[in-house]
Amino acid sequence: MTRNRVLLLLALFAYVPAGFAQARQEVTEPGILVNPAAVEFSIFPRKPELNYYPCTQCHQFLTPNPEVRELLSPHPSTLDHGDQRIWCLTCHKIDDRDYLTNLLGESIDFDNAPEVCASCHMQRHNDWMFGGHGKRAGNWQGERAIYSCPHCHDPHSPMIEARAPKPLPPVRKGLERPENVREEHLSIWERLEKRDHE
Amino acid sequence: MSNTKKKKARSVNRETDISRRTFVKGVGAIGSVTAAAAAATTASAASWGGKTMQDAFGEFFQDHYKKMTPEEIEEALTRIERNAERKTGVNIQCENTPPIPGVLFGYAINISKCKGYRDCVYACVEENNLGRDSQMQYIRVLEMEQGTRNLEKSEHYYDPETVPQEGKYYMPVQCMQCENPPCVKACPVEATWKEPDGIVVIDYNWCIGCRMCMSACPYWARHFNWTEPELPTEVVHPVTHYLGNRPRMRGVTEKCHFCIQRTRKGRLPACAEACPNGARIFGNLLDPNSEIRYVLENKDVFRLKEELGTEPKMWYFSD
Amino acid sequence: MRALFQFLIDAIREMFRGSRRYWGWIFLLVALFTQAVFSYTHQMQTGLVVTGMSDQVSWGFYISNFAFFVGIAAAAVLLVVPAYIFDRKDIKQVVLLGEGMAIAAVIVALMFVVTDLGRPERIWHVIPYLGRMNFPDSILAWDVVVLTGYFLLNLGIMFYVLFLHYRDREPKSRLYSVFVVIGMFWAISIHTVTAFMFSSNPSRSMWHTSLLGPRFISSAFASGPALIIITLGVIHNATRYKIDRTVIDTLALTMTIALQISLFFVGVEMFTDFYNEGQHGASIRYLFLGLEGLGQLRPWIWAALIMNLIAVTILMIHPLRRNMKWLNTACVLTFLGIWIEKGMGLVVPGFIPTTLGEVFEYSPTSTELSIAVGIWAVGMLVFTLLAKTVIAVELGELKYKEPVRYTQRGF
Repeated sequence: MTRNRVLLLLALFAYVPAGFAQARQEVTEPGILVNPAAVEFSIFPRKPELNYYPCTQCHQFLTPNPEVRELLSPHPSTLDHGDQRIWCLTCHKIDDRDYLTNLLGESIDFDNAPEVCASCHMQRHNDWMFGGHGKRAGNWQGERAIYSCPHCHDPHSPMIEARAPKPLPPVRKGLERPENVREEHLSIWERLEKRDHE
Repeated sequence: MSNTKKKKARSVNRETDISRRTFVKGVGAIGSVTAAAAAATTASAASWGGKTMQDAFGEFFQDHYKKMTPEEIEEALTRIERNAERKTGVNIQCENTPPIPGVLFGYAINISKCKGYRDCVYACVEENNLGRDSQMQYIRVLEMEQGTRNLEKSEHYYDPETVPQEGKYYMPVQCMQCENPPCVKACPVEATWKEPDGIVVIDYNWCIGCRMCMSACPYWARHFNWTEPELPTEVVHPVTHYLGNRPRMRGVTEKCHFCIQRTRKGRLPACAEACPNGARIFGNLLDPNSEIRYVLENKDVFRLKEELGTEPKMWYFSD
Repeated sequence: MRALFQFLIDAIREMFRGSRRYWGWIFLLVALFTQAVFSYTHQMQTGLVVTGMSDQVSWGFYISNFAFFVGIAAAAVLLVVPAYIFDRKDIKQVVLLGEGMAIAAVIVALMFVVTDLGRPERIWHVIPYLGRMNFPDSILAWDVVVLTGYFLLNLGIMFYVLFLHYRDREPKSRLYSVFVVIGMFWAISIHTVTAFMFSSNPSRSMWHTSLLGPRFISSAFASGPALIIITLGVIHNATRYKIDRTVIDTLALTMTIALQISLFFVGVEMFTDFYNEGQHGASIRYLFLGLEGLGQLRPWIWAALIMNLIAVTILMIHPLRRNMKWLNTACVLTFLGIWIEKGMGLVVPGFIPTTLGEVFEYSPTSTELSIAVGIWAVGMLVFTLLAKTVIAVELGELKYKEPVRYTQRGF
């Protein structure tokens, strides 16, 4: 048994409801919510990518304010996530800004951000652990290194933006693409509506 | 008596016949003109197609891959490396990495995630030394109408400002590496076959270019080199495999080979690595813990044209 | 042995002997072939990019002609069967010409395949043991086997009979009859295998029909006799070899029935695909009505259909069929109509739309047409030379003369 598996089991036993939640510290390896059936993996760390980390460099001087409001810069003032159902302090730990938090109020390291996302996106998280979602870097066998959720989905605006596609396919050298006249493809109800209007 | 008869017959013929001598002269004239013209047109081309005579003959008399001894294969690999260096100036490696035992490759594409960027198409072009001037592309991304799987309603040449477009979804198509490939059956010289790890490969030195396989393929996966593929020196990818991305010649068919030069060494194919949305999932179907198995067992997967009995190893799913 | 050499020498000598008209014809054919050599050299050096084919439509004019001319070759059996099974004396006199046509047609078909190859120098790969023939899986491999076999069979039989006639004898050997019967079945097989080359592909809905084999045979049996009748007419008028009218009548009757069946099959295909039209009918819609605004083949296929309908009408009217002028017109219409319908009208729409639903058209380039003309010229040249020898032998002009033996006492 590897050291990681031992820690995992210990952490599992530590996860007893009522009172022990605050006692747990940051989780550096893939945390408690890792499904033991999933193949072992490592996550690319996020902290090196974060501009303002560690957040306590400012927040040690500021009083925590739990009121839901619009924030000043450098924070994004709008959160395009959850359609007004969540706000900043849903994910950011109010008393320790160097950590994230989940619905149980536990401290979660920025490198283990997927655990936060899993609070609401459990199915996706499960898919991600098993490799059905997300991206694996480099190889299909051996060491499994995958990207964490914020790597692709900016948590403040997770929808993937539309972008320009790469150029369209060519036709054979020496030939021209014909001028196809595409038919209008209407659904059954659209066809009926069109017929009714005529 | 017979002699006089013969003489008479000959004199009759002489009046209407054009003598044999004239005919021979005429043919000779045409023949020499043809030969001169042919010589003039070929004089400009490099001798032996840019190869040494030894390499040209060695390549011509090369045996079928499955019948070659390891020494002959080594010879073929070094010959390919020499020819490529002569042609492109790049020192390429041509390997013959064998299949990994206990591996059967499978691929799944998440059509909810594919947004039609075509990043995979161009990553493949770079990785696999596809002809730039001839613009060969192994992957074609189809823009499908939402609500239908009818390929006839798909748009191949979509070019909007941004993708994804409203009311469309995107489905990349490439060689499905069928378990029951109709192309393998159709090839008259067995230039294409299925390897033990499931990849359907082509020996470009054996293909005669009859294009029977292209008629047989239901997925439009096989593409032909109508012209000599142009590979500028700066874009040559030097790590190649004999059955994969080594430089090809005109007159042969080629197709996606699951980046055999990468996958047989444990790496993901270039298209899977290039997709920024993680829509492509590749792995070993025989490994119960692989990502591909998870997808196939837990997602609503389908395959294209399954009713034809080809048993493709590329699935599509949405979630 | 000496007789064999003498036969070959005499035959070749015969090929070089002829009137001004004959030499004019030969020169024309050689000239057409020569221009094709230039085009083919260009194709060999540049690649098949000089044709109009693409990844979307990967078979075009060459394979269309290949399919058509295999049919012509198979139609020789229509002369062999009445000559040997029904013992028709009148047809016996033209059966050698029919076999000569079969040989020429097979050569034309094989030449079309070779010019269509991307790497023709690698053709040796298809030879078993030397190369690696994918037999019995690949239908193309089957096609190579049956076409080579048919070529050798016809060549052998024709040579054997001709040689015997040259020596003023008749074929009597039992073995010879066996080969003739084999040849009859083999003729059907060459064209069925060619049809299978197309119909074996479930990816192409227009071809993947059990009707394709019967369609090929029936159209071959209509276009083959059409060509034979025209050719026999030319021979009758241009040479001293006279053809019996009954031969033409039999061929014309066979042609009529075959053309009726062929048109019936076309009608059946159209009903099946258009009655409850689904995606299966996309190719035939492209062919007859156009698809996505594209329909280059429409005028061709409708012209072919109309030509065939006119031809079958002429042929069904007895007095017209018996009139050589009307019959020849019907033959030309049939030949051209079926050449269009079975050639480009079958091969090209099989690829439109592609298996991924793309509609991309094809039209042959001048290089393709130039090479095709050259190959047709080769076929006509082969037939002319063979026919010249056959006619000379059959007319008794070419006969083996026993060497005169001189005795000690002088002549």
